[in-house]
Amino acid sequence: MNLLLRGAAIAAVLHITPAVVLVKRPDAVRALLPGADSYLAREVHLSDPDAHRLHELVDWSPEDGVLTFYRGQAGATGVGALTFVRVDTPHGPIEVAVGFTPQGAVRGVIVTKATVEMKPWVLEAVGAGLVERYRALKPGDVPAGAAALGRGHVGNLAGYIAGEVDKGVARALAAYGTFYAVRNAGA
Amino acid sequence: MLYDLGRADLRIKWLVTCLLATLGVSYVFGALMVSLYAGFTPGRVAATYAGRAMSMAMPPETTMVMEHPMSMDQFATPEVHEVDTDLLIQDTHVHVPMYGVIAAALSLVVVGLSLSQGWALALITLLFAAPWLDFAGMWLTKFVSGRFATVTLIGGWAMGLGYLVVTALAIHQMWFRRRGVVR
Repeated sequence: MNLLLRGAAIAAVLHITPAVVLVKRPDAVRALLPGADSYLAREVHLSDPDAHRLHELVDWSPEDGVLTFYRGQAGATGVGALTFVRVDTPHGPIEVAVGFTPQGAVRGVIVTKATVEMKPWVLEAVGAGLVERYRALKPGDVPAGAAALGRGHVGNLAGYIAGEVDKGVARALAAYGTFYAVRNAGA
Repeated sequence: MLYDLGRADLRIKWLVTCLLATLGVSYVFGALMVSLYAGFTPGRVAATYAGRAMSMAMPPETTMVMEHPMSMDQFATPEVHEVDTDLLIQDTHVHVPMYGVIAAALSLVVVGLSLSQGWALALITLLFAAPWLDFAGMWLTKFVSGRFATVTLIGGWAMGLGYLVVTALAIHQMWFRRRGVVR
């Protein structure tokens, strides 16, 4: 019986809580590609060498080896691009939307999904100004939102989640810089 | 037999009743979660676990780019919740121990029921086989064929059936069968 109780306790502690949508995708698209009236999805199916290159850069492989970018246009003018990146954590996945200006700098970052458990941590980190720290970053820059929030300004768990958002932004920067910007300068 | 729930102390009966009620609540919400993230049809289960891996298992020799227009409505379309291999490993690691604990708890209830040995063994087998079928179906759907989604559905329904049978028998024998039991 003791073994059963221990097993139940361990399973309960490890259990991943359900995912919740923090910001709906259309709202994230409107915020990160402001003024766009048409959109183009670009799916980049990575070869093994390119997938390996990306993995070397940010220790990450996209789901099923496919990167998806969404380009927004207002009439004939490009307003930028965005991508959604999933970060798997021991507490479940979070999803980060990263938008880029036509010049290739980060326009904004939105945490679109988390789990029930992580939602308050995300809200605390975002409320402390986490996503402002990523604005204007360019491929090659290292996101340091967690460090910028600093200890003492937010709780440990919000600081932890900021580190996970850093990972998502780093992946988006590497993916964008390596597989989008080089093919699409200025779009 | 010393362990007989039908003749058990009131406190034991109450404990078992509370356990079954609690598991029942978790099963109801488990079913709701399945309806939200995977669905109850073979097609939706296959889409959840097979995902794009079924249509493009091998990476291309050179990186390929495909483009297509997107409307805002398409961004709003509910996404298919896809479970990739990493997440399925994590899910299996987390859920299988818990399913084992639940099957063991329900089996302990079965052992305390007045049932023939054959029926008791069959019920215990059902309780443990159901989660095995559930997860075997997920893995087979991902790596063999989308048709194995049916195995996952059978496993899920078998879990629900096992729980309902055990609960109905236990409640009946503990609270409604009259045989001179001291309550």
